[in-house]
Amino acid sequence: MALARATEVSFTYPEGDEPALDSVSLELDPGEAVALLGPSGSGKSTLLRALSGLVPHFHGGRFAGQVEIAGRDTRLERPAEFAGLVATLFQDPEDQVVLDRVEHEVTFGLENLGTLPAEILPRAHAALAVVGAQHLASRRIETLSAGELQRVCLASAFALEPQLVLLDEPTSQLDPEGAEAILDLALGSGAAVVISEQRPSLPLERCERVVFMERGRLLLDAPREEALEWLLENRPAYLPRQPAQPWGDMAGGETLCRVDRATFSYGDRPVLDGASLKLRRGEIVALTGPNGIGKTTLAKLVAGLLEPDSGRVQRVGRASYLSQDPGRYLIRERADEEVALSVGGDLAGARRSLAEVGLAGLEHRHPRDLSSGERERLALAAVLVTEPDVLVLDEPTRGIDPLRKEELANLLRQDSDRRATLVVTHDLVFAGDVADRLVPLGVREAALA
Amino acid sequence: MSPGPAAALLAAAAVTALLADRTVSVAVLAVVLLAVCLQAPRGRRWPYLAGSLSTALMVFLVSPLVQHLGTHIVWTGPDLPALGRLDVTGEELEVALFQGVRLAAVALAFAAYALLLDHDRLLQAAGFARRSVLAVGLATRLVPTLERDVRGLVEALRGRGVEVRGLWSHARLLSPLVAGSLERGLNLAEAMEARGYGRPGRTRTPRAPWGRLDHAALIVAPALVLIGALWL
Repeated sequence: MALARATEVSFTYPEGDEPALDSVSLELDPGEAVALLGPSGSGKSTLLRALSGLVPHFHGGRFAGQVEIAGRDTRLERPAEFAGLVATLFQDPEDQVVLDRVEHEVTFGLENLGTLPAEILPRAHAALAVVGAQHLASRRIETLSAGELQRVCLASAFALEPQLVLLDEPTSQLDPEGAEAILDLALGSGAAVVISEQRPSLPLERCERVVFMERGRLLLDAPREEALEWLLENRPAYLPRQPAQPWGDMAGGETLCRVDRATFSYGDRPVLDGASLKLRRGEIVALTGPNGIGKTTLAKLVAGLLEPDSGRVQRVGRASYLSQDPGRYLIRERADEEVALSVGGDLAGARRSLAEVGLAGLEHRHPRDLSSGERERLALAAVLVTEPDVLVLDEPTRGIDPLRKEELANLLRQDSDRRATLVVTHDLVFAGDVADRLVPLGVREAALA
Repeated sequence: MSPGPAAALLAAAAVTALLADRTVSVAVLAVVLLAVCLQAPRGRRWPYLAGSLSTALMVFLVSPLVQHLGTHIVWTGPDLPALGRLDVTGEELEVALFQGVRLAAVALAFAAYALLLDHDRLLQAAGFARRSVLAVGLATRLVPTLERDVRGLVEALRGRGVEVRGLWSHARLLSPLVAGSLERGLNLAEAMEARGYGRPGRTRTPRAPWGRLDHAALIVAPALVLIGALWL
């Protein structure tokens, strides 16, 4: 018997005009691993929510069709009733943490499920051990790195011993090694796993079945080999590939930013120790490296948002910085006003910038009404409109689908001769596509050319 | 000390500050609570202390100007259309000092609760009203979350060349902050539902038994309130 079955499911959000799911039918067997691919806004997250019962119970809207988990109709029971059976890991781990300490966070779900008191702590510790996070048990959540937090969220899910694990872009904030570890842990749990991802290489390597969605419909549901052929023919951007070689060192070009033996600490925690970096006009530099190594700190030094404890940062002209979090670009009531805020209210310039990033026609929309992918592009427009000499982008591909990444790479290369560009990224394929030069920030003492 | 008795003690301190009549008594209580708050890590305590003490100072500075009390004038100001003549009397200053210190004591009791108590254990210990305790715990987390959000917004604005200076510029961030909090609240509610929150038959992680200090705190808390009402 299938563990989960969606039959002709259609769903439209209360505020939506178009259906987020359109006649979707899908069966999941116990223990199988499914890669769920598709562009931003294609309905992947909505499908995961339908498989956990959150759609329609939590979101409202118009729902048709049927979803059954272990033979139980999700329309007839609250999502909380499926908690021991289905576990969901959402896109942003920070938004799903309820309690202050790691151990308590993991026990939260066990208590809700009515686990025998004597079993709660041993099961929580066992789940933490499975994800390699037992040493974090007494830590405060706010002190964890992105990778550690994602492991804790995974432990919270595993502690409930679910039969179906739904992962909604679980690795978007993680470096390649961290992402690989999280996926391997999920796939090794023995539960059926559905992984929605915008970096498709890993899920395509590890899942035996691939589902591709677009505009709320399933375009493909096939075993991996067949799916790879379909992707090659129809959606080649989603095929796994090795990072391209950088475009090559740009000769000449005025030096616009020079970081010289910079050190930086947050309180008593040293992050950078003697880092050096040179950015020249016309070149795009990709700064890569594991989580927590100091990439964002170095990027903020380049942008002038932080001052080094020692060493020097010299900059020519204007520097602009794109934050990792597009939620920080939702201040005004309209998209064009949001972008115009960066240039003293110049609406004409703002609209040109919106058009450049593919948001023409959405000028009047409230920024919070935009999808996550559109918010990313709005944030990019708000920074590009300033026409900086030094442009710093911190994880600009987070949550962006492969096609949009190609567009972003083209956009950045298009005017790259005007400025020096520094891109902080975990996405090595994107780094290869966009950068003239890769700078791996691997050890704190590294002095970078 | 276990978080339950500690919360009772802090609540008693706040109630005592509200019941006491003497400025000196309330001031002593405020100083003790300030010393307690200073046990928290420096990075976490400053928004609470700044908020508590600046609000108390505002009350002290503003209330003499809007009250009309006493006859011993110490300062005479201009005649204003709605408020009349601005003057400050010795009696008004005394009352303002008392109100300011009282507010500081109550705010510092909350700050100590927010900074030093283990809210997770408080929630686990809650035999009844668990939903309310959880709501209070999540609301307590709002202060550091908002502080982090403000830093993030200001940094993103600086990253595109917009400097945020002064009270008015910061005040304009209030609306996006509230909207962001609501959005985060919805996400959290969804995650809680998915993790079985609200199902009947929930259980509790066994908690450590109370020690002598905990029992003593439960005796001292009502005694403090009684003393405050009768003698302070």
